[in-house]
Amino acid sequence: MSIDVSGVNKRYGEFVALQDINLTLPTGQLTALLGPSGGGKTTLLRIIAGLETADSGSVVIEGVEATRLPVQKRNVGFVFQHYAAFKHLSVARNVAFGLEIRKKPKDEIRAKVDELLRLVHLDAFADRLPSQLSGGQRQRMALARALAIEPSVLLLDEPFGALDAKVRKELRDWLRRLHDEVHVTTVFVTHDQEEALEVADEIVVVNEGRVEQVGSPDQLYDAPANEFVMGFLGEVTVLGGVRLRPHDVEMTTAPVPGALEGRVVRALRVGFEVRVTVDVAGQDAPVTVVMTRTHARSLGLEPGTAVWLAPAEGATAVASATPAARPAPEAVAG
Amino acid sequence: MTVALEGRPGRARPTLVNHNLTTASGIGLGVSMIWFSLLVLIPLTAVLVTASSGGWAEFWRSITNEQTRAAIRLTVMAAASVTLVNIVAGTAIAWVLVRDRFPGKGLLELVIDIPFALPTIVAGLVLVSLYGNDSPLGLHLANTSGSVYLAFLFVTLPFVVRMVQPVLEELDMEVEEAAASLGAGRATIFRRVVLPSLAPAIAAGAALSFARAMGEYGSLVLLSGNLPFESEVTSVRILSAIENDNQAAAASIAAVLLVISLLVIVALDILQRRVARRG
Repeated sequence: MSIDVSGVNKRYGEFVALQDINLTLPTGQLTALLGPSGGGKTTLLRIIAGLETADSGSVVIEGVEATRLPVQKRNVGFVFQHYAAFKHLSVARNVAFGLEIRKKPKDEIRAKVDELLRLVHLDAFADRLPSQLSGGQRQRMALARALAIEPSVLLLDEPFGALDAKVRKELRDWLRRLHDEVHVTTVFVTHDQEEALEVADEIVVVNEGRVEQVGSPDQLYDAPANEFVMGFLGEVTVLGGVRLRPHDVEMTTAPVPGALEGRVVRALRVGFEVRVTVDVAGQDAPVTVVMTRTHARSLGLEPGTAVWLAPAEGATAVASATPAARPAPEAVAG
Repeated sequence: MTVALEGRPGRARPTLVNHNLTTASGIGLGVSMIWFSLLVLIPLTAVLVTASSGGWAEFWRSITNEQTRAAIRLTVMAAASVTLVNIVAGTAIAWVLVRDRFPGKGLLELVIDIPFALPTIVAGLVLVSLYGNDSPLGLHLANTSGSVYLAFLFVTLPFVVRMVQPVLEELDMEVEEAAASLGAGRATIFRRVVLPSLAPAIAAGAALSFARAMGEYGSLVLLSGNLPFESEVTSVRILSAIENDNQAAAASIAAVLLVISLLVIVALDILQRRVARRG
């Protein structure tokens, strides 16, 4: 097992950042640490890297006890949200930095840097300064710099967080492909569930300093361990005391056995989908139903239309702890 | 007035030179140049003209006078070594002020500026009372060249600190962490990552500190005793030339100081650029 975290605790004064974290991340995988801001995922990543020390517990990297090792000795590649480029050095020299520290021969460094710059598609920019690159290019440079030292693990802290939506999506696809090529054990922190679901082999959901669930994207999406995970991975609505996804609610305009009757409050169209708000008798919060534009049109929905709602077959559902429709993570026992 | 109005943009302007000045920036540049000329260029030229009024031979005699040479040597030596000390000590103080938290930090922050704010003659009195003949510390520096070094150190302390401090505050700690994760130890991180970012500020502070020391008068005049060949600095030498009604000699020494300061500033700039690009 590539990274073994056991019994890790960390507090900042009164604030508990991490509480008894036990985690095993297998070699060669791309793992996402997913969770809301301030939930402790970055702290966990920094403890694995050695940029932060845990109050108690241990970290083992590739079988090497690393708890007391300084960051310099852990052989980890770390990529920061804001690139952390060496502004006074050219792109090539940024990438060469770790190799120069390791006193590798000059021609070996040059060959390695050329290879990496080709890998991250920056070979045409070798002599530029970081300030002459775009955000996405800078982050690719940072990635090449981290890969240059042939790290045993690659750690990325919100690597695409500072980029705009389009570049972010491109880089995300690119990271996935790069990982398939390079196969270095990779852990990245994100608060974007779509990013985690799309890129990661395995997702660790971290919230309020604890691990809520570990699993593949499908496992997490289809079988969330609790209300928090369900709510964090996608939109949730409550129908008859059951929490489920708005697109998993089936709607008919004629009575169906077992379905709950309601009345359409409004139907909001967003591109190809329609979000219908339905007031259900005997339920405080309205139910949200999402369907395609075509489906909504075939139903002929107007405010006031009487509809019947039932969970679709095979829908992911979690029994609601609270009758209200708001996700209430604090009501969940971790 | 009408002429000025006719000259407003809208009409095609003569394209003598290829510039992109708007009316506002044109006025801004004009005002700056006039101001700069009145306050700096014209007086400097006047000094050079006065210095050369007696001809080359006269100029050469003034500055090669034994006593003048001793004064120039002492001043330059003291200013240079004090600047070197400030580069190291000033950067260290700025580092401590930015990176460390300790009780009394606010007070230290305030005290650093005292040499700036204090009238130099007050500084001179302070030094006399501490290191003069009645020194309560038993350190008798009066009438020695050491007093010149001491006075220079006192008045130039804040320059490097105050130039480096804001740059250090803006420095991204993640860059240092990135270097550490790539295997760089603390000394290497400082030399290859931090220092190149600080170099321009250190050089600017050093230039200010050197220039200030070269012209210092008030803080040392009481303690040093102004003994020729021992503790007489150039500013005192210039004053005595003026008192002897020898304007040309005074201007000659001033011209030498001017050239030395200019050379040092250029040298510091070259050095700073090299350090900033290394790493």
